[in-house]
Amino acid sequence: MSEDLLEANRNLAEENRRFLQKNGVRAIDVMGAIGSGKTSLIEKLVQQLKSNYEIAVFKGDLTTTIDAELIARHGVKTVAINTGKECHLDANLVKKALLKLELKKLDVLFIENVGNLICPAEFPLGSDKRVVVISVTEGPYMVIKHPFIFMEADVVAINKVDLAKAMGVDVEQLEKDVKTVNPKTMVVATNCRTGKGVDDVAKALGF
Amino acid sequence: MTSQIVQSVLAEAEKRGAKKVTEVHLVVGKLTFLGLEQVRFAYEALTKGTIMEGSKLIIVEQEGIVKCGHCDYEGGFKYVDDPLYHVPVPTLKCPKCGNVVSIVAGKECTIKSIKMMV
Repeated sequence: MSEDLLEANRNLAEENRRFLQKNGVRAIDVMGAIGSGKTSLIEKLVQQLKSNYEIAVFKGDLTTTIDAELIARHGVKTVAINTGKECHLDANLVKKALLKLELKKLDVLFIENVGNLICPAEFPLGSDKRVVVISVTEGPYMVIKHPFIFMEADVVAINKVDLAKAMGVDVEQLEKDVKTVNPKTMVVATNCRTGKGVDDVAKALGF
Repeated sequence: MTSQIVQSVLAEAEKRGAKKVTEVHLVVGKLTFLGLEQVRFAYEALTKGTIMEGSKLIIVEQEGIVKCGHCDYEGGFKYVDDPLYHVPVPTLKCPKCGNVVSIVAGKECTIKSIKMMV
């Protein structure tokens, strides 16, 4: 007998990927710690891209729809995926949520994962690109303490850089740490409240 | 995860008409985030009252293995042991040529074999 139990999720993720590709939808999975600025980054990206692209957002959260409502203000279709107690989204939850969208009309789908730097690394969802958001307020060791999620990332946003000095965190060192763990990822310094660096995140994502 | 393991084993045992499961062999990749201590604890709790109760859970850990597309290196990770870091940090750099590698093993959680009494 040889049954890989994590393989089940990976296979479903591949199914999602093919389904999204067939419908011409680019999906972006946004991961990161609690309070690092995932929702703010998505809000800013939505503002910037919504005139050129038809966008929808999946918003993973344990029980509330607070963030989903924040994003829905920008006039894009938002689906809250409540995981209950689970600490991450999985490919099956995303598959079910995809049924709530008219994919044919869609260009871009942002999937905001549950705030966590551990489990989401283990559960691919079928997205084209994976973004990790960290912020300087989480301290200087975020990257080296969680190397595996950065190995999954195509783009890393280091957020709240305006607070770096107050926090005594060296943004360049954080960038270097990300590049050490994963040389092929792109790193962007952002301040998602003002929108600084969001252009570059969009560019790094191929927009 | 552990309940998935137990469910899979029970399903397999039922298919084969087993009366009792005595051993379960599991391979867990070191790059997964499964805590083996917690898996063992949950295994004991979840198998209680089933035909798996009292069975031995034998876990073999699989090292993380990477492969380089440039120089064909295949083996362990390159770790960076900068005094600035408190622990050696694994990286996606090829230990031989420095190019980016891809992960080929270490992310699995596989039930390898089950011993049961039919």
